[in-house]
Amino acid sequence: MNLPLPLAAIDMGFTPHIVLLLYLGMLLSFGIIGYLKSRVSEEDYYLAGRGQGVLVTALTIMATFFSSSALLGVPGLVYKDGVGFLFFVLNLPLSGAAIYLLGSRIWRIGRVRGYVTPADLITDYYGGSSLLRGLVAFVGFLYVIPYIVMQIKAGGYLAQRMFPDAENLSFFGMEYGIFDAGAIALSILTMLYVLIGGMRSVAWTDVVQGILLLSGMIVAGLATVMAMGGPSSFFIQLSELPPAALSVPGPSGAWSPWKLMTICMFTSLATMIQPGQWMRYYAAKSVDTLKKSALIFAVGLPCCFLFGVMLVGLGARALYPPSAVSGNLLPHPKIGTSGGEFDQVVVAMIQEHVPLLIGGGLGAIVVSLILVAVMAASMSTADSNLHALSAVLTRDVYDRFIRPKASEGERAWFGRGVIIVATLLALWLVSVGDRNPDFQTLSLIAQLMFVAMAFSCQLLPLAIDALFVRRGTQAGAISGITSGILVVFLFTPFANIFLTGGLENSLKELTSTLGKLFDTGFCGAFVNTTVFIVVSKFTKRPTKEHRNTFARDTEGLP
Amino acid sequence: MDGPNPPSVKSSRKLSWILSSVFLCALIMGPGPGLYLINEYAASGGTILRVPALYFWAVFWFAVEAAVIIAAYKLIWKGESE
Repeated sequence: MNLPLPLAAIDMGFTPHIVLLLYLGMLLSFGIIGYLKSRVSEEDYYLAGRGQGVLVTALTIMATFFSSSALLGVPGLVYKDGVGFLFFVLNLPLSGAAIYLLGSRIWRIGRVRGYVTPADLITDYYGGSSLLRGLVAFVGFLYVIPYIVMQIKAGGYLAQRMFPDAENLSFFGMEYGIFDAGAIALSILTMLYVLIGGMRSVAWTDVVQGILLLSGMIVAGLATVMAMGGPSSFFIQLSELPPAALSVPGPSGAWSPWKLMTICMFTSLATMIQPGQWMRYYAAKSVDTLKKSALIFAVGLPCCFLFGVMLVGLGARALYPPSAVSGNLLPHPKIGTSGGEFDQVVVAMIQEHVPLLIGGGLGAIVVSLILVAVMAASMSTADSNLHALSAVLTRDVYDRFIRPKASEGERAWFGRGVIIVATLLALWLVSVGDRNPDFQTLSLIAQLMFVAMAFSCQLLPLAIDALFVRRGTQAGAISGITSGILVVFLFTPFANIFLTGGLENSLKELTSTLGKLFDTGFCGAFVNTTVFIVVSKFTKRPTKEHRNTFARDTEGLP
Repeated sequence: MDGPNPPSVKSSRKLSWILSSVFLCALIMGPGPGLYLINEYAASGGTILRVPALYFWAVFWFAVEAAVIIAAYKLIWKGESE
């Protein structure tokens, strides 16, 4: 994909190369140190010996939570849809609270019973059903794959921005542009340090990436406000935006208050129980670690959005307003050239304004650091998801369905194989989408990013029941999660493949109406919970003794 | 126990209910239907403390949510056992 890109205001020279090399070198050394410190066990590879302290836990949870969307997608939506999308940030305090409220119970029972994946806990409570284990693993898979693809794609875009003049490379008769080179470099390097050092390397690199990311968000916001003449002038220019950009549902009409509220309530919890985060609760050193991480996440992170990177999107809205061409909203030419390039807003604004604001030499370093921060956001999510997918497929699929008698060493090698195959699969999807403009995989995946959270949300009723309520049954759990997955599936473009005639059109109308009103995850979770409750009413619960011991282990009672 | 006495289970439960209700209220008033109270004023370019009304509204309800979490951490979570 060769896009005409806005040029940086100054010649960056070799600064991006040096900053990038230093960053990548540091990541690889973390991978090697993680390997040297590791012990030969599955638990150590996946949970770093269950001994992570506050700093590592807080930053690895934040870095896993963020994807490239923190510095690309979310500010891009603010640029496109104005002030209304700011309310998305109000999901973060609830996500933070979930780290303690759900995480502490998951941590307690995980430590007592040696759990590694979400399915370990869920299936243990509901009587060890293989079908349920497979369904929970499937939900994890549906969440993880689109996320990895999105991060790799972001690596390609970033390389285009950092090295706009780079020439194409040729390998084995194939021509690779700078987009391909960036995507390949990001995915191979991430794969390498996850393969070598497991959870320990992932968490340590997350610490560096988290710090880079948070500073990048704040610096980008400050630079925008200063470039627009300081806070007073900044807000005066904002208040002169068109009415649609100052209110909900925004210029695209997508953000009604009911939808924003259900996103804040359900997306927040869905992202905090996806496999990568769930495993981080097991890996924490103590409940106190999770309490402090929850506080840091709930209070610190929204500040970085509200007083940092969101201001970039709003500033760009005032300086470079998007325009409507033939009914489609397009970004200003300074930001991008097609409807899919709203998410380039932070990178374009920083390249445009930071060097003018603080001068050439230092400006080039700050711009390079912020661009590396975007890369850090992508890598920190890709590494956690690759690592979690490896655990899920090894423990919940290979170990249960394919080779139940596999040795620990064999399982470790299978897990590493999963990481390689998942990376190559994601790279292939990105590459095919990039080379073939008629192939719509990437746009489908962008939609699937939101749908991925909706799939993850289907674990919520089961998790809440197992951890707090304990009234559900195995049959209820299986029926509930299956119906939830099916409902979310109906919201995806793939549903049209299986439905024909009038049914297809009616469904499209129904999901479109519901999708405008509510979060997709909420729609699935509503059906999921209803089916779960009804089926549980007529089927047999786990024994009282089982429920009591489970309650004792989750609540830490004597 | 060496540390200060934790609040009794009953008062802790009462506090949990109060904090949960305030948090829920913040979710309804902030990103939820409470937005309609200010949306028209915001669309007309209205400001609060010289800040666009909707931005102020988001920051205010975030502050409420953050205050609830800080209170929960200080008054409830800290007293709970490992």
